[in-house]
Amino acid sequence: MSSERLAFLSQMVEVLTSTVSFGERLSNMVHLLARFLKVDEALYFGLDKGKDTLSLQISSRGPIAPQLRVEFQSGQGVVGAAAKTRQPQVAHREEEGVLAENILLDQIQPQFATLAAFPVADDNFLYGVLLLIDTNLRVFTPLERQAAHLTSLMLAGTLRQGLVQEEAKKRIAELSVLFEVGKAISATVELDDLLQRVVSTTAKVINARGAALSIIDTQTGETRVSSQYGLVPVAKICPTLPPAPAEAGSPAEIPFLEGQTSDAQGKVHYHLAVPLSFKGQLHGTLCVFDKIAPGGNHQPFDPENRQLMFTMAGLIVNALENALTYQQVEALAERNERMVRNLTALQEISQAMLTTVQEERLLDIIIQGLIQPSGLGFDRVQILEVDEAAQVLRGRKGAERPPEAPVLPLAEVLFLPLAAELPVSDWQIPISPGLGAMAQAVLRMRPVHQHPSRQQNAPAAPWPQSFDALEYFVVPLVVKDRATGVIMVDNQVSGRPLEPEPLHALQMLATQAALMLENAHLYSTIEANNRELMLIRERMLESDRLAALSSLASGMAHEIRNPLVSIGGFARRIAKLVEKDSPLRGYVEVIQEEVSRLEKLLREILDFTGENLSYFGDHNLDQLIEDTLPLIQRDLEACNIKVVKDLHPVPRIHCDDRQIKQVFYNLFQNARQAMHETGGTLTIRTFRQEREDGLYAAAAVSDTGGGIPLDVLHNIFNPFFSTKDLGTGLGLSIAQRIIARHYGHIEVKNELGRGVTFIVTLPIAKYCLVKDAGQSAALASALNTPSGGRR
Amino acid sequence: MKKILVADDEMAIRLLYSEELKEEGYEVYTATNGREALDIIDKVPLDLVILDIKMPEMDGIEALRQIKKLKPDLPVLFSTAYDFKQDFATWAADDYLVKSSDLEDLISTVKKHLKE
Repeated sequence: MSSERLAFLSQMVEVLTSTVSFGERLSNMVHLLARFLKVDEALYFGLDKGKDTLSLQISSRGPIAPQLRVEFQSGQGVVGAAAKTRQPQVAHREEEGVLAENILLDQIQPQFATLAAFPVADDNFLYGVLLLIDTNLRVFTPLERQAAHLTSLMLAGTLRQGLVQEEAKKRIAELSVLFEVGKAISATVELDDLLQRVVSTTAKVINARGAALSIIDTQTGETRVSSQYGLVPVAKICPTLPPAPAEAGSPAEIPFLEGQTSDAQGKVHYHLAVPLSFKGQLHGTLCVFDKIAPGGNHQPFDPENRQLMFTMAGLIVNALENALTYQQVEALAERNERMVRNLTALQEISQAMLTTVQEERLLDIIIQGLIQPSGLGFDRVQILEVDEAAQVLRGRKGAERPPEAPVLPLAEVLFLPLAAELPVSDWQIPISPGLGAMAQAVLRMRPVHQHPSRQQNAPAAPWPQSFDALEYFVVPLVVKDRATGVIMVDNQVSGRPLEPEPLHALQMLATQAALMLENAHLYSTIEANNRELMLIRERMLESDRLAALSSLASGMAHEIRNPLVSIGGFARRIAKLVEKDSPLRGYVEVIQEEVSRLEKLLREILDFTGENLSYFGDHNLDQLIEDTLPLIQRDLEACNIKVVKDLHPVPRIHCDDRQIKQVFYNLFQNARQAMHETGGTLTIRTFRQEREDGLYAAAAVSDTGGGIPLDVLHNIFNPFFSTKDLGTGLGLSIAQRIIARHYGHIEVKNELGRGVTFIVTLPIAKYCLVKDAGQSAALASALNTPSGGRR
Repeated sequence: MKKILVADDEMAIRLLYSEELKEEGYEVYTATNGREALDIIDKVPLDLVILDIKMPEMDGIEALRQIKKLKPDLPVLFSTAYDFKQDFATWAADDYLVKSSDLEDLISTVKKHLKE
């Protein structure tokens, strides 16, 4: 090998392994070859794949003037032929057609004589053509050809290396962009922010003038630009895309659109759009406009751009899906929170309800729970109860949330009295089909939600004029398959719609409230029954005591009466014997009077204890009164008491006349004693009275003695109770017992400050069945003696 | 002189009634129980009998039953410390006297039944 050749090769290797830029390396190689072959000039033409042209890029003589543009079509001249055939081409000026075909080279070397073109290619690609120009007619030796071929191979290798490196750089840049965008997606940035970032990044990476993201509104079907960057020439650039294939597997299968549009000024813009589709549905497009070449001209979009667009579209879809999921999760969390709040309120209301069995208190708690902001927060509540007998719903209690009420913890406010009660007493709603939501709720035992839209079609409900709600909710109170009432809520005051969660909570509350109200109702019934039982027990105890007292009294009466009669009887006898002016006479009279008093007491005790035979017959009530009045006439006159008789003929009564007279005597005495200091009027009125169990003859005995003090009123029929110094306290209780034995009634009307009226009612004969009458008749016939009164 | 029997286990009552009736001009026999009364009724032609209800050996109600068998026309009055005791047997007597220190009721009732 010659030393020149060796120098050429070593210099070539030096250039090849140097760290200078690719462009410089290529220039150096071309220069080295020109020098080694001693040609006038060596040139390199690069292949433009898109246009299939070869343009001058490097010259061994140094930089190329910018205005010098030399470009060959593939196949044109030696350069085009070398590119097309991928074979070296040699031509000489004098040969036919050579000058014409290569006339472009004449502006570089006007006197060129020899042209030799070598394709710069490797196994796969053609990169360009190496051209050697000499002004002398030359024939290249095989060694020289080899050097040129070697140089072209080295050029190809360097060019490939440069391309690969450039590709790698671009790839790295894209990946770092994608990495940044991916990071942004997984971070919890706002969706709009993220989309904006994706759109601008896409435009920057592709080097486009503008980019826009259009989203289709799933509800209206309209497309709107959600994010844009740079120059977007047409606001609504979202071409109607063909529907994405169902199995959108590889991105290549997804349609994209590349084309051009004109703006308002008529300027043409290029665009590339890719669809945003997920779950088989088109959601919008990502579109870039006007890719700019380094020279500032528009440049067509290449496959890499499309690839990037699909990747970005995928990212956007992911982000949208994420955002959608996030929104759903957020909505779910909010709903859960509301539910928890409602359930907590329910639990507190429920606990509060357990603290009482009083119906009114329960109603207050329920209503507070429903209207308080810390409870279920309705504006108004009305509770109605079912009147089964009348088949109507009656207003029970209602309230609204007072305006500007402070928000207090529910546990406290539940026990406060209602601040703004609503008048519900005029609510009276017939329970019949077609008469509004309330009747419906009761009849179907299911909640009814009245929506404002359905209001117009709803039949007129028979509700008070004051009720103005357009939307309301009625939930029945159901206990053991029976609707006992309804709770109605509305938000008419604030105009808020009724939300499903509080309504759901209300339904749960209604179940418990119904049970609690029913329990309270039962409790009050039991309490009333219990009171009645206590009363009966007291009366029974009293009658037991009286029975014991009776037997004691009658025994005592017998034992006492005999000696009393003897004492009194002999005192009378003594009185007859004693001289009228003897001092003994006074003593004996005292004995007589005292004995009389004791005998009278005995009689009253025996009357009270019922140790009497009854003498029943049919009597005229008016007559009995007339017969009794004279017995007390003088006493009444002495007390300045006027008697007013208002007697009306009433049917005869079946009674023991002596006992009934005793009753009136006692009542008259009682009236006299009430008026004995002041005087007054004793009014006696008789009349017929119809009671549930039959017809009665009634007598009302009224005085003007000022009435009975309330603290003693309940005692007046008790034996031995007396407000009078001289009374035995048996008068009214004897009267009551006698009337009871006649299956009659005695009632008191007390008018404090005016007087008392005792009303005695006795069954009229034909309605009255008296056991004693039957018994006495049977016995009388058994003894074969006439029966009847004996006194 | 009309003959009246007073049957009572209480000595004071027997004495009181006897004195009072004697003063009114009646001949008075006394007995301390129903059995003695029946003995006297058997022996003496009486015009009227006054019977206490509660007496030892034989009470007034049993005595009344026997008297009414023997002498249905002999008036018998019950005299008792009980005020209308609820014993329907007493209804068979011709009248009923409640013992009282006021003896006017006794005399008038006796006179009524002796048709004086």
